[in-house]
Amino acid sequence: MASKALTVLKENVWTNNPVLIQILGICSTLAVTNNLRNTLVMTVGVALTTAFSSMTLSAMKDLIPRKVRMIVQVLVISFYVILIDIVLRAYLPDVSRQLGPYVGLIITNCIIMGRAEAFAQANKPLLSFWDGITSGLGYMAVLMAIAAVRELLGFGSLFGLRVLPAGFTPWTIMVMAPSAFFLVAITIWAAKTMQARKPAKSAPRPAAVAPQGR
Amino acid sequence: MKKDSLVYTVVFTFVVALAFVFVLALANDLTAARVADNKAFATQSAVLKALGVDYADPDEARRLFAELTLDAGDATGPAWKATIDGQSLVVVQETGAGLWGAITIMLAARPDAGRVSGVAILAQNETPGLGGRIEEAAFLDQFRGERSDGGIDVAVGAELSGLGDPDPDNGRVDGVTGASRTSVAFGTIVNAALARVRAISGGL
Repeated sequence: MASKALTVLKENVWTNNPVLIQILGICSTLAVTNNLRNTLVMTVGVALTTAFSSMTLSAMKDLIPRKVRMIVQVLVISFYVILIDIVLRAYLPDVSRQLGPYVGLIITNCIIMGRAEAFAQANKPLLSFWDGITSGLGYMAVLMAIAAVRELLGFGSLFGLRVLPAGFTPWTIMVMAPSAFFLVAITIWAAKTMQARKPAKSAPRPAAVAPQGR
Repeated sequence: MKKDSLVYTVVFTFVVALAFVFVLALANDLTAARVADNKAFATQSAVLKALGVDYADPDEARRLFAELTLDAGDATGPAWKATIDGQSLVVVQETGAGLWGAITIMLAARPDAGRVSGVAILAQNETPGLGGRIEEAAFLDQFRGERSDGGIDVAVGAELSGLGDPDPDNGRVDGVTGASRTSVAFGTIVNAALARVRAISGGL
């Protein structure tokens, strides 16, 4: 169990990273990564939603009729997303206001459904929960790295604290979506190059094909 | 009962949906008071900001709001009356179209709308880092004490001085660089709010 958990962690964060390798969740990568605080809240939301929905679906998997499998998955995922939205509105109103519609958009993140289909279908609830958390961590790592560059160059600050001197002219492109395209591409390129140089000892998971999406 | 039978599928889907929706309804109901409270506080703190009243914590803000303001809302929307340092002021909440979505502001001005006391933003969805910078103090502070009997002109493009507009008597403020559309929209909303201040005072 412990070694399995470690394998899952390594795969989800590095060798089979949802953003870098599976190219999932790109839509939100482009949309929310221009400041670190929002990115952090959003990725924590995605990690928790993925973990809890995978766990719930894994626990329910023997009861779900094949015909309505996807419907139930969407139901469970949206349940957790709305729950997160309610909690944010009640306890973190400022963050909720800043994130605006993005919390609702967590549901369109393909990583969540991807993990439900590819992993939770065939594994025990606890391991599925871990798989969801680590997938979220892999997603968070990439997004936070991109957000750090974008906030630093676009606002001259990190987590809203001014880092660069006042004379620094912010790069407007960094707060716009196009810069995320460049940065995601560069990050994917760098990660792929590193992985190709040091071939992963464990073969990549074969049937980890998640639904194609944004 | 067979798992793939029609009856099982329908019953299962119904029960699962009912259970999850019930929990959500419960969570929504339990937090409703808190959410309403947050919303009320957001409005009250924006009114105080527009009036230029400082507060240390939410409790003080609630107390000051209750002490200082008098509800003067009409059919067009929420509004308040207040007297700060002997000067009577009217605060109106005004919503208008920004570049991406609605912008809601709180504007405090003298009853004849001849001078703005302050502007605060309640909600906006402009581009972070560009139009979103209308929330910054450097932009909003230009409105403090600005003369507004001829409306307020938000300068954009080549008219920008780039340094903010320090003159409180020319009825002009600098827009946000790189966000001309948001700046112009903001000016329209401010002027609509001034018109409402006049309408509310006219009914005195």
